[in-house]
Amino acid sequence: MNTADTISTHRARPANLLWLLALVGAAMIPWFTGSTFHFHIAIMVCIAAMATGGLAVIAWVGQLSLAHAAFAGVGAYTSVLLVTRLDVPVLLGLPAGGLAAGTVAFLIGSPLLRLRGVYFVLITFAMNELFRLVMLDIPAYSGGSSGIVGIPKISVFGQTLSRHQDVYPFMLICLVLVMGLLVLIRNGQLGRRFAAVEENLTLAESSGIPTARTQNLAFTIGSAIAGFAGALLAHYIGFISPETFGFQLSVSYVIMLVTGGRLALWGPLVGALFLTPLPEFLRGAVEYQHIIYGVVLIAVLRFLPQGLAGLPAQIARAKGGRP
Amino acid sequence: MSFLIAQSLINGVILGTLYLLMAIGFTLAFGVMRIVNFAHGEFYMIGAFCALIGVTWLGLPFPITLALTIAFAILLGAVVERLVFRPFRADELSGMIASLGLAMILQHGALILFGPDPQAFPSLVSGVFRWGALIVPKSRALALGIGIVILLVFYVFLMHTRHGRALRALVQDQEVAAVFGVRLEIMYPLGLGLGVALAAVAGGLMAPLFGVSPFIGGTPLLKAFIVVILGGLGSIPGAALAAILLGLIESFTSSFISASAADIVTFALVIGVLLVRPAGLLGRAET
Repeated sequence: MNTADTISTHRARPANLLWLLALVGAAMIPWFTGSTFHFHIAIMVCIAAMATGGLAVIAWVGQLSLAHAAFAGVGAYTSVLLVTRLDVPVLLGLPAGGLAAGTVAFLIGSPLLRLRGVYFVLITFAMNELFRLVMLDIPAYSGGSSGIVGIPKISVFGQTLSRHQDVYPFMLICLVLVMGLLVLIRNGQLGRRFAAVEENLTLAESSGIPTARTQNLAFTIGSAIAGFAGALLAHYIGFISPETFGFQLSVSYVIMLVTGGRLALWGPLVGALFLTPLPEFLRGAVEYQHIIYGVVLIAVLRFLPQGLAGLPAQIARAKGGRP
Repeated sequence: MSFLIAQSLINGVILGTLYLLMAIGFTLAFGVMRIVNFAHGEFYMIGAFCALIGVTWLGLPFPITLALTIAFAILLGAVVERLVFRPFRADELSGMIASLGLAMILQHGALILFGPDPQAFPSLVSGVFRWGALIVPKSRALALGIGIVILLVFYVFLMHTRHGRALRALVQDQEVAAVFGVRLEIMYPLGLGLGVALAAVAGGLMAPLFGVSPFIGGTPLLKAFIVVILGGLGSIPGAALAAILLGLIESFTSSFISASAADIVTFALVIGVLLVRPAGLLGRAET
């Protein structure tokens, strides 16, 4: 298996099947242990994987967004305000959150995406700060620095999912839907266009690909997914404030993406799966959690530029053998 | 009214000078090494802790403490360049992501060592200077004075010494500088070390005014960011202009409108400048 395979072909190969089985196995763990705490971790992994998946779509066209938390915030606030103020059902509020975030991204995307590389990162960083500051300045809607508490739980057809065990299957379905969308995009014509733009912008432009529109599309889709994930987070945790969606959250999405693999299809899932439960295994050393995050991030950048998802291919290459 | 304007002007210049200390180190790291250093604020925090340790634990006089802080910070910057940033020289984006990791390591390292609580710093001077209705606390005037002296020393170093010229050459063109014998393996650690030292000294100067805790790095980082984007990444004269401008904007908006409005105005300004002129006020356009 080499990297080119993971990008284009989607035939079921034994290795891929094995990975899929491992993933399904990992998803089943909470049911085996039956622990509420494990359900909680699994739910957080699902939400983080979805949000990071959105970031991955943006990364596929070669841009890194540090405003991802702000878009999650737009989605969260949209859904929460619709549900609490206008009595919209949560099941409609969630996609509305995604839609709102996507719309905002679409509107501001084309001027922002003229910037590339570190400049795009800087402006998205500034956007995220601006979002936080503006939200803090309108406490009537955002709840100000004390936030909004007592957000209604997710309910499906009149059935409120109050226990962790009940929320988890719902989150899994959402995750499968989002990952399915990612697979569809990646393996379809759009994915090839994204890859062309990421690989060589000038060449893509001269081959007749509308690069500006393609990048904006990726930004819109990715941010909409972030909005959806943010809405899920809000209704699951039950509390949001402008600070929830600050710089730190954006950074943690970037860390998960980079650790998992910036350009790998399964990178976001691998990153979330690896980094979300990590602090829980280090419960005796909570204060070391962020230090370990930092070390993992730098080590992955240095030694695994393809991320953890690219590890099998890298090992295969190191052995010098072909599978 | 005219009194309020004059007071805002003075406060603005004081703020601007402090922002400049932060921003020059930041822009130097970008100009020399192409690194957008998200850990820059943590070096400010480390400088503040160095000053605290020197003055309260070791009982050293403040000037000696500052000198030791600078020496320590240059060393620290050189080590960080070697361990963290060197592999990413050719890759701006990876270097920047690595700096995010470095910031987490430094901040939470300080958290483990010193605990989360803000620590008081003994005040060095007390009282105020008055000219008519204008008031400047002596502690601020002291910070301003030392800050200006350090900036002047740095200016002389940059303009009139061999290493200063080499750094400026690197900012202008890496390859040509290397061809003309600028030794990258010395200049890179030196460039980052000096940048880190400027941040640390700003932290040391500010410690008596704002106190010390592991979380104080965030705001100065933001200010450095704003200044450097406004002035143009990598441009030192741009940083100087933008720092004073930012100080004045903040001071006037918070006197005449409100403090939160000041933040929103500056961020809107940053986004506007990035969109209209990504190279900043005095920066060079990227190709």
